Amino acid sequence: MNSPPSTKSKKANSGWHRRHDLPWLVIFVIPAFIIVVAVQFYPLAYSAFLSVQDWVLTESQVPKGFVGLDNFAKELSDHIFWRAVRNSIWITGGALILEMFLGVCLAYLTMGSSWRMRAIRTLLILPMVIAPVAAGTLWRILLNSRAGLVNHVLDMIGIKGPEWLATADGAIVSVIMLDTWQWTPFVLLVVGAAIASIPADLLEVAAIDGASRWKTFLHIELPLLMPLLLLTLVFRMLESLLSLDSIYSLTFGGPGYSTYTLTYYIYTLGLRSFNFGAAAASSWIFMLFASFSIGLVFWFQRKDW
Amino acid sequence: MGRNKSPKQRLLALLHGLILLVACLVVIIPLTYLVINSVKLPREFLTVPPTILPSEVTFQHYQELFEDSKTLRHFRNSLTVTLWTTGITIVAGTLAAYGLARMRLSAMILAGVTFVFLFIRFYPRVTTVIPFFLVMREMDLLDTVWAIIIGQLGITIPFVTWLMLVVFQDLPLEIEEAAIVDGANVWQRFWRVVLPIAMPSVAAAAILTAFLSWNEFLIASSVARRKASVLSIAVAGFVSDKGIQWGPMAAMSVVMIVPMIVFALFAQKYLIHGITFGAVKG
Repeated sequence: MNSPPSTKSKKANSGWHRRHDLPWLVIFVIPAFIIVVAVQFYPLAYSAFLSVQDWVLTESQVPKGFVGLDNFAKELSDHIFWRAVRNSIWITGGALILEMFLGVCLAYLTMGSSWRMRAIRTLLILPMVIAPVAAGTLWRILLNSRAGLVNHVLDMIGIKGPEWLATADGAIVSVIMLDTWQWTPFVLLVVGAAIASIPADLLEVAAIDGASRWKTFLHIELPLLMPLLLLTLVFRMLESLLSLDSIYSLTFGGPGYSTYTLTYYIYTLGLRSFNFGAAAASSWIFMLFASFSIGLVFWFQRKDW
Repeated sequence: MGRNKSPKQRLLALLHGLILLVACLVVIIPLTYLVINSVKLPREFLTVPPTILPSEVTFQHYQELFEDSKTLRHFRNSLTVTLWTTGITIVAGTLAAYGLARMRLSAMILAGVTFVFLFIRFYPRVTTVIPFFLVMREMDLLDTVWAIIIGQLGITIPFVTWLMLVVFQDLPLEIEEAAIVDGANVWQRFWRVVLPIAMPSVAAAAILTAFLSWNEFLIASSVARRKASVLSIAVAGFVSDKGIQWGPMAAMSVVMIVPMIVFALFAQKYLIHGITFGAVKG
């Protein structure tokens, strides 16, 4: 695609092939195309339709009719919706700060290709391969306020551990801890790979010029890593906002509505209250924000930094 | 370097080692504690302080789990879903990626296609769960493994197509030229020339797909609750039920986690390749 063919005859030859190949290439794409349209785009359109319908499955087997933007208005004035928005911001914000900071630090501390560092890296990424539902149950065991390991350890150093999962603030912090435990390795991996690709002579020159390690980091490495860090940040933000499984098995949204995130709220609205119209409307409100963030990822990936 | 380190350097090295040790412990201890809990006697569960080393190792929780025909079914369903999803995804995704890469699409169209892939990866999936549920109900597929597989394919196929598209675009067309001169058609070029070269990436994509599929919860829990239920639903189920059965819950989590950890240790190179690649390239 990038290199011009060297001779005229070759050009003609590949031109013939191009036309000849096209039907095949189209056939190659068709199965994937059909599945994506059927499983993604059709349900998306369907959900847009549902968002303007009055439909609670427990009241009626079919939609009860067009209600305009009523569902949206109801959602936007629902305090549980806004509580879920606030919870999402707290949880995702807290987890992001911790993950980025710890991930970058650990990426630097585990640099190198000695067997010891490789072994440590292998170990550190294990939380990432665990199913989020299982990670949730695991932390539920650890955070049990009376008999959990976390409070036991805190006890040993003289701190009275809180009721992690039984209080609103404790539960939010618990979800943040779980997200951080499971996904810091992702930042470590991505940033670690990027650090390894920074040319070594660049850093050597700086060292010869007498720049301290910290200054080298601040003035040479950080600017080089910045695009990737931003990308990783938005990436993690979206995944954290969209995660359902870990909250489901760690707190089940509770206590009360304390850890209802937007995703969890929409899920229960649709699949436990069967209020399809309201669930569709609130998910489209969510979609607006997500689309903006996806646009950001797209822009970061293509921008020539 | 050298043997004569200044005290400051020694202190830093010590600190470095200490931080890494703590990081490793933060990973190892929870995992070990989960395994310990799965072999604890029920009466040692809610003791204060917690029982860290159980007085007796018991396999009763595992035994209970596997005596229940439901567990075996969950396990089998998870395996079925993972194998089918991975197989279909790799075939359809790799083919589509090769097709797109060789179609000589304009930069604009390619950018559009990339955006679609990115969008599918990151839009709030909970939006389409209910419509998908309704479609599956319409097709009479509710509570079958096929509902789960089809739902997961909608996520994994675009993902793998995107990964492989970048790989194929990076392969120069020259490697196919000899085959073109020999009169090989597209299919032969793809199968005999391109695919063998791209095999490591295909392996990475397959492993990543298998992980996503095995661990997936949202789609599975929305279309399959009983007969086609999978491990992720079973693990989550321990929480919503009346009272928590700590032992079986720990044991079930171990059953779900261990294959993936073993898998991750063996296929680490490919897995890391797949994960970092998906994040960095666009």
